[in-house]
Amino acid sequence: MEPAMGMGLVALMGAAATVAGCSEDLESDIGSQSNPNSQVQLAAQVGYPHRIFNKAISGEPPSNAMYCAVGAGVAMVLIQSVNASPLLAIAIGAFVAALLNGVFSTTAYMGRNASQTRFNQYVYLDVLRNQLLSLMGHAYITTFCIVGLSYVMWHHDLIGHPFPFPVIAMIWGLAVGAIGSSTGDVHYGAEREFQDFKFGAGLNAADSGNITRFAEAGIRSSMDNAWFCSKFGGPVTGIAFGMTVFLDNWRSTAFSGWTAVVVGSAIVLALIIYNRQIETYARKKYGPYPEYAGDIEA
Amino acid sequence: MTDITIIGMLMEHWVSIIGIILGGICIAVGVHFVPVGGAPAAMAQATGIGTGTVQLAAGSGLTGLLAAGYMYMTLSAAGTPGISEVILICATGAVGAMIMITVTMLVGNWVYIYGVGVPPASAKVDHDPITGDSQAPYVAPGTVGQGMPTVCFVSGAIGGLLGGLGGSLVYCMLMWVNGDAAISSIFAIGVFLVNAVLPSYNIQGTIEGFHDPKFKRVPKAVLACFIASLLCGIIAVIIPGMSAFGGV
Repeated sequence: MEPAMGMGLVALMGAAATVAGCSEDLESDIGSQSNPNSQVQLAAQVGYPHRIFNKAISGEPPSNAMYCAVGAGVAMVLIQSVNASPLLAIAIGAFVAALLNGVFSTTAYMGRNASQTRFNQYVYLDVLRNQLLSLMGHAYITTFCIVGLSYVMWHHDLIGHPFPFPVIAMIWGLAVGAIGSSTGDVHYGAEREFQDFKFGAGLNAADSGNITRFAEAGIRSSMDNAWFCSKFGGPVTGIAFGMTVFLDNWRSTAFSGWTAVVVGSAIVLALIIYNRQIETYARKKYGPYPEYAGDIEA
Repeated sequence: MTDITIIGMLMEHWVSIIGIILGGICIAVGVHFVPVGGAPAAMAQATGIGTGTVQLAAGSGLTGLLAAGYMYMTLSAAGTPGISEVILICATGAVGAMIMITVTMLVGNWVYIYGVGVPPASAKVDHDPITGDSQAPYVAPGTVGQGMPTVCFVSGAIGGLLGGLGGSLVYCMLMWVNGDAAISSIFAIGVFLVNAVLPSYNIQGTIEGFHDPKFKRVPKAVLACFIASLLCGIIAVIIPGMSAFGGV
């Protein structure tokens, strides 16, 4: 393959991954999936019933791995059995994955809220109706992008990766879930869910479950959360996944053998140094907590 | 197939079984290095990455596996890769996993610092063993730390390295046995998950990295993963011989 063509494909994959990362995080924010879900689940039990969507189907990595593997499986069958156009096949595969997301979201919301009736947490059908399509829409975008970039990796005329198409999609689905769960979800769980508390600290264990239930206007819904998280948590998740896909594939495409290993190690070293810089910045900017009563000097 | 044939297959592929065991142990030790804060970290209530042990280890290790799989294919164009090529493939996988985990930790720290407004701090040590920075005054009240200070970041990078290396080694060994990328990749994912799940019983939800007292439990995980990987290795060698039983 021409080097320019290879770099173009890597850039395309990085761009698709950026979109996928962003939509994955927003999907989990709307549905309160993954770790911040523990607070949404707890809220009603400690006396704060709410109208936030609640769907801890599983951790984000397994659920996204499943959507992407299903999407890629359907696309592969269509491409190989009826000779469908890859773009159309990927779109249909992503649509099937979005339908699966809809099924899981509905059963998770109904099941979880029905089991919390004793805490005055009811099944709100309008909440289900209003959020479900946006959940499925975001799942569609995520799956479409990841199955698309997996197709580019797998197709023998493009990058030609030896793993089967659905396995590549499954691994990237697992990775996007792990990244979304580790980065963007913190913006939702530590900041948006507890906006009533002063900015600049994590959740005090004594305030567990006391999630913010009232919005800028009226009662807070999951759409309000997606609006807030789309300003920071979602885009940075996209950057993280895009960077992972781009940097990893760039070093393998532009360099070969031990050079690729050395370039990769240099990237890791640069990230460690940059992390140290932002850590120092945060310590200087925010300073120690005034409540600290120990004898260790800041 | 007689028992003798099975034993013959195992004897023939003993190097691959040892490789799978070594890979499994690398994964198990690597999981202990990854700073995971679990659900509390997602609320900036605990130091580490805000997700589960297995999910993060699998996310990074399998990203490394993708890089290793591609490198194996490139190198196998000139014949079955030998020991020196396997070392290069494992290094590629290790670096791929390190890139994924360091990018994740860095962007995670962006969210902690700029989105939540907290400085990264560990609650398990008074001073960062690498930078010497004090930690306790920067831990928010009512929490057990937040974000990834330098020691956690470096520990996480080492965890990614070991996870990626172990996953790639298992893949190479499986390729030596059956030569089929599809079977090997799926089986390597399985072996990876076995060896990522077992140590999570040691970790019990959260660990900050090599400076965490829980890290001392590593020998138990190594023993457990040795046994599990040995079983996985034996099954991995027997599967290609299944056709002799009349199977696929």
